[in-house]
Amino acid sequence: MTPSPSLPFDEPTGRDRPRRTVLSVTELTARVRMLLESAHPEVWVEGEIANSRLWKTGHRYFTLRDDRAQLKGVMFRSAARSLRFAPEDGLRVVARGRLSVYEPKGEYQIVCEHLQPQGVGALQIAFDQLRRRLEEEGLLDPARKRRLPLLPRVIGVVTSLDGAAIRDVLQVLARRHPTARVLIAPTRVQGEGAAGQIAGALERLGAQPDVDVVIVGRGGGSIEDLWAFNEAAVARAIAACPVPVISAVGHETDVTISDLVADHRAPTPSAAAELVVAHRTELRDRVGRLASGLRAALRGRLGRQRTRVLELDRRPGLAGWSAGLASRARHAAELTHALEGAGRALLSRRDRRLRVAHAALEARDPGRRLEARRTRLVAARTGLHAAWAERRQRSRARLSDATGRLEALSPVGVLARGYAVCWNADHTAVIRNAAAVSVGEGVSITLGRGRLQARVTGKD
Amino acid sequence: MGDKDEIRDFESAIDELEQVVKALESGELSLEESLRLYERGVELSRFCHGRLEDAERRIELLDERGARSAAPEGLADVGEDGDRS
Repeated sequence: MTPSPSLPFDEPTGRDRPRRTVLSVTELTARVRMLLESAHPEVWVEGEIANSRLWKTGHRYFTLRDDRAQLKGVMFRSAARSLRFAPEDGLRVVARGRLSVYEPKGEYQIVCEHLQPQGVGALQIAFDQLRRRLEEEGLLDPARKRRLPLLPRVIGVVTSLDGAAIRDVLQVLARRHPTARVLIAPTRVQGEGAAGQIAGALERLGAQPDVDVVIVGRGGGSIEDLWAFNEAAVARAIAACPVPVISAVGHETDVTISDLVADHRAPTPSAAAELVVAHRTELRDRVGRLASGLRAALRGRLGRQRTRVLELDRRPGLAGWSAGLASRARHAAELTHALEGAGRALLSRRDRRLRVAHAALEARDPGRRLEARRTRLVAARTGLHAAWAERRQRSRARLSDATGRLEALSPVGVLARGYAVCWNADHTAVIRNAAAVSVGEGVSITLGRGRLQARVTGKD
Repeated sequence: MGDKDEIRDFESAIDELEQVVKALESGELSLEESLRLYERGVELSRFCHGRLEDAERRIELLDERGARSAAPEGLADVGEDGDRS
C-alpha cells in the first residue's frame, strides 16, 4: 500500500499552521448575513415578478427573475400597504431594497422598500386592476345603471367647498332650476384620507330621505390629484348609494373608476348639474301641454254627448223616435225586404230547375223515381224556408238591438244619468256658455224628471 | 296607472297624467269614467305645477354627524343674480 496522503482532519503538525476554528451553521450564516447587509444596504434591481403571494400577516413574498437567475424577495407589511398596485406575477419592476439572509432557510433575499413598475405607470396598473376587480363583481354592469329622476327634490353634492366645482354646479342649477334644493356634503377631494371622506359623504347623503340624486366630483387636476376617485372605497360607496349617482371628475378626458361605477358620467361638474335637472321651463311647458290636453279631451267627450242630446232634443216629442232611429229602422226594413226578395228569387230559381228536371224525368221515367224526387224537392223547399225564416229572425233581432241602443242615447236616458240641460228663461235656446246669461237672469233647467226654474246668482 | 290615490313623485305624476289624457282622448270611456279621470288629471297636473313652483331655493351643508346647516353666504347666493363668473 502506498502511504496515504495526509488527511484533512489530521491534527496540525507544525506550530506554523493556523489554529482551526469551527463555526456553527448559525454563526456562519450570521457572518454571511452581515457581509451581505453591509455590502448592499441599498440596491436597485430589475426583474419580473413570479410566485407573488400576499400572506395573511400583510407581508408579500415573491421571486424576481430574469432569463438566467432568480432572487427571492419580500416586502413587509408597511411597505406593501403603501403600494397602489398589486405586484402580480409577470409584472416587470425595479425593486429598491437591501440584501439580507433569511437564516432559518439559509436563503438570501432582497427586502424591498418599494417597487416601481416598468413600462406602464403604477397608477395605470392600479386602475386596470381595480377596474378588472369591479367588473368581476358585476359593479360595472350597464344593467345596474339607474335612470335619473325628472325633478329631484334635493340634489346631493359630494365635493370640496374650496374648489371651483361646487360653484360651477350651483351656478348651473340656479340658471336651469332656480328653486332647486341642494345638500352639500363637503369633503377633501385629494390627498391622504380623501377617498374615505368621499365614501362617507356618499353614504350620509344616501341616507337622507329627501335626496333623490347625488353628484360626486371635483375639477380637473393631475392623475395624482384625481386619485381618490380611483379608489375602491369610493367605487363601492357609489355602487351602494340607494339613489342614482352622477360622477363628474376633472375634465372631459379624465376617466376615473368612479365614472365607471356611477349611474351617469358627466365630463365636468357643470355638465353634471345640467344632467340633473331639466330646464324648469321645459317641464313647465310639458305639464302645461298635458293640462290643456286634459281639458280639451274632456271638452271633446262632453261635447259629443251634448251634441247627441241636443240633436234628439230638437225632434218633436222628447222620447219619440229620433231621425237616427228612423233611418236605422228604414235600413232594417230595406234589409228585410231585400232578404225576402232574395229568398223568393232563390226559391223560384230552384223551382224552375226542379220543374225542368221534373219534366225531363216524367218524359223518360214516370215511375217510382219521380216519387222519390218529389219527396226530396219537398224536403229542400222546407229547408230553404227554414233558413230564410232564420235569417229574417236575425235581422229582426239586429233591428231591435239598434233600437235599444238608440233609446239609450235618447236625452231622457242621458238626463236620467244625472245630466241637465240649461235653457234661457223663455225656453228657446240652450245655454252653452256662461257668458250667454247675466247674473240675475232666470234660466230653466231640464232634469231627468221635471224641470226647474232658476236664477243665476253668480258666474265662475 | 298604478296607485290611484297616492302621488309618489313628479315623475310618476307626469307619467300618469299622460295616460289619463290618452285615455280621455280615446273616447271609449263612459261619461262617469271620463269625469272621474278628468278629476284625477286635474289633481295630477296641480301636483306637478306645485312641485315646479312652490319649492324654495335652498343650499345646505351636511356635516359628518349627518346634521344640516345653511351654506355659508359665499355659496348660498352663487348664481342668484344671474351669471356672475
